[in-house]
Amino acid sequence: MARSVLIVDDHAGFRAQAKALLAVAGYEVVGEAADGASGVRVAMDLSPDVVLLDVQLPDLTGFEVVRQIRSRPDPPAIILISSRDAADYGGRIARSGARGFITKADLSAMALESVLEGPAP
Amino acid sequence: MTRRRCWLTALGVVLVAWIVGAEWVSIHVGVPENHFIDAAVGLSFVLAGLVALDRRPGNATGVLMIAYAVSAYFGNWSNLNIAAVPMIGMIGAQPSGAFIAHAALAYPTGRLRTRFERFVIGLIYGVNAVVCVVILLAFDPRADGCTRCAWEPAPFPSRTAVLTSLSLSQRAAFLTVPLFFLAVWLRWRRSTPAERRDLIPLWIGFAVVGLVYLMDGFASPDTTADQFSYLMWELQSVLQISLPLIFLWGLLATRLARSAVGDLVVAMDRPLLPGELRAALAKALGDPLLRVLYALDDGDHWVDADGRPESPPRPGEGRRAKAVTVIDRAGGPLAALIHDPALDAGLVRAVAAAAGIRLENERLQADLRAQLDEVRASRQRIVEAGDRERRRVERNLHDGAQQRLATLVLSLAMLRDRDGVDPALAASIEATTSDLKQAIAELRELARGIHPAILTEEGLPAAVEALADRSAVPVQVRTDFEGRLSEPVEAVAYFVVAESIANVIKYAQARAARVELSRRDGVLLVEVSDDGVGGADVSHGSGLRGLADRVAAVRGTFGVQSPPGGGTLVRVEIPVPAER
Repeated sequence: MARSVLIVDDHAGFRAQAKALLAVAGYEVVGEAADGASGVRVAMDLSPDVVLLDVQLPDLTGFEVVRQIRSRPDPPAIILISSRDAADYGGRIARSGARGFITKADLSAMALESVLEGPAP
Repeated sequence: MTRRRCWLTALGVVLVAWIVGAEWVSIHVGVPENHFIDAAVGLSFVLAGLVALDRRPGNATGVLMIAYAVSAYFGNWSNLNIAAVPMIGMIGAQPSGAFIAHAALAYPTGRLRTRFERFVIGLIYGVNAVVCVVILLAFDPRADGCTRCAWEPAPFPSRTAVLTSLSLSQRAAFLTVPLFFLAVWLRWRRSTPAERRDLIPLWIGFAVVGLVYLMDGFASPDTTADQFSYLMWELQSVLQISLPLIFLWGLLATRLARSAVGDLVVAMDRPLLPGELRAALAKALGDPLLRVLYALDDGDHWVDADGRPESPPRPGEGRRAKAVTVIDRAGGPLAALIHDPALDAGLVRAVAAAAGIRLENERLQADLRAQLDEVRASRQRIVEAGDRERRRVERNLHDGAQQRLATLVLSLAMLRDRDGVDPALAASIEATTSDLKQAIAELRELARGIHPAILTEEGLPAAVEALADRSAVPVQVRTDFEGRLSEPVEAVAYFVVAESIANVIKYAQARAARVELSRRDGVLLVEVSDDGVGGADVSHGSGLRGLADRVAAVRGTFGVQSPPGGGTLVRVEIPVPAER
């Protein structure tokens, strides 16, 4: 069964490309959100397997969205994405509770699987 | 001689005649007293009153002293048992105590200042007025044996009424005297330091009055009665002479204080350290709380001696209102002395005139300090604006170019992975994707150099750790604090470390470098050292110079030790206002 994915990113062009890329790779993109508050709400409504979450959002930081989603029971796996490098966020990614981090330019089904197969936080 | 002085001289002649005449009456009727001392007491009040009238024409104290002398000697004249003189003498002598009480409470300005003071003095005058009316209506001199009093008896002659009124007026003192001292005490409590200094002679005067009052119980002018009583009588008379002189001394104290101007001129003759001018002015004026402000831009702005902006208080502003004397020079305001309102305005101006050139110098220094502060603040604003701009540019790169390039990479990846794509085209797409990723990495590095996101996200220690991790030369980082500092301080400290490590990599030929970040006693200490060739010079090259400027903008200090062959140590200290 295909994993369901929620994409939370304020750049519509990136969401569209990511959705197409993941669909080709066999993922089911069940929803999209353009800001943090919507991302939290949709994640609760749709209960996806994976949330692909941009670190920089217009209203909340990705770290705050992770905290809110993980505060609910049975949270999905959350993968943070950014056009910045992981090193630009220091230890915040490791402390956030997200499953992992992928730079946007490196997003692929293989990268996603690699992170998902890693240890849960 | 001025017309005013002519009048005062004429008045003096009349008053001297009044005193001497009164004493002549006492001698003539055989009143047992030392007439010389008695006359001296009256003359001292008259003389002091006339001097006070001359020097302080707007001050009622002189009039009150003369009124006391005139009133007190009515008593002597009442011994002249002719016509209506005894009655007039008794009436005239009544308010003498009220006059001296009025002079004491109104001292040194001659004005009663509060409603309570006016009530107390009004009450004392009122008691005397009642006695005077009783005397006018009931006094019968012939009942007292005045056979030569060629004057019709009063409308309601009653010796008992007169004696009762006199007795009641004395008993009223049990009320009026405590009220009077209460008013005096309240006056002292409300007084400023300078006013209290002026009031001290008054307390000396009161001590004398009290002493005289006590001595009265033992005193007798009769030399045949008791030697001790007679001595007390002589002594209290002599002390009475000193009373008007004490009043006069206090009244003219501000004039005597002008000698302080001379001391100030001498003090101005040597170089003064910052703050000493204020202290010298405060000492000369006897106002330890004196403050001096300096006018800039023709009085549009005011600053203190350190160049800090401050406005002179408005009249009546504050719990203890201050007086403001603006000193003008060359047609414009030079300085403002904020002082005790009790100080004599003429004395304040005299002191300010004596310190004129020093005030001008200090104004120039204050102006310089104010400009220096403004330059510092301006430099800080420029650096902070630069940092804000760096953050904005980094954010724009992140939100714009980097996002678009990342999206493009995804598009190319999808194109490449499509079914049936020509292998040559796929290889070309792969090469383009690789170039794009390289461009993204370079852009990311550029953005990081403009303003590192980790500094905003994680603070200085984490940003410096990240910097060390990317360095081509091994860098050891030691930090002894956690938490955030203000954005300008974090940015300056970060760029000091970044530029220093860049210099280590480029020029130092070092095997290793070390960064220490420590925070103690309100100071952030940043040290970057290496074991390279040394020889770095702040005056050469814009890198270190620019760092020094950035550090100065946050009021920090910047130093470089770089002996040839001995490595380089960059040491920066920055005051840290508050944790974030």
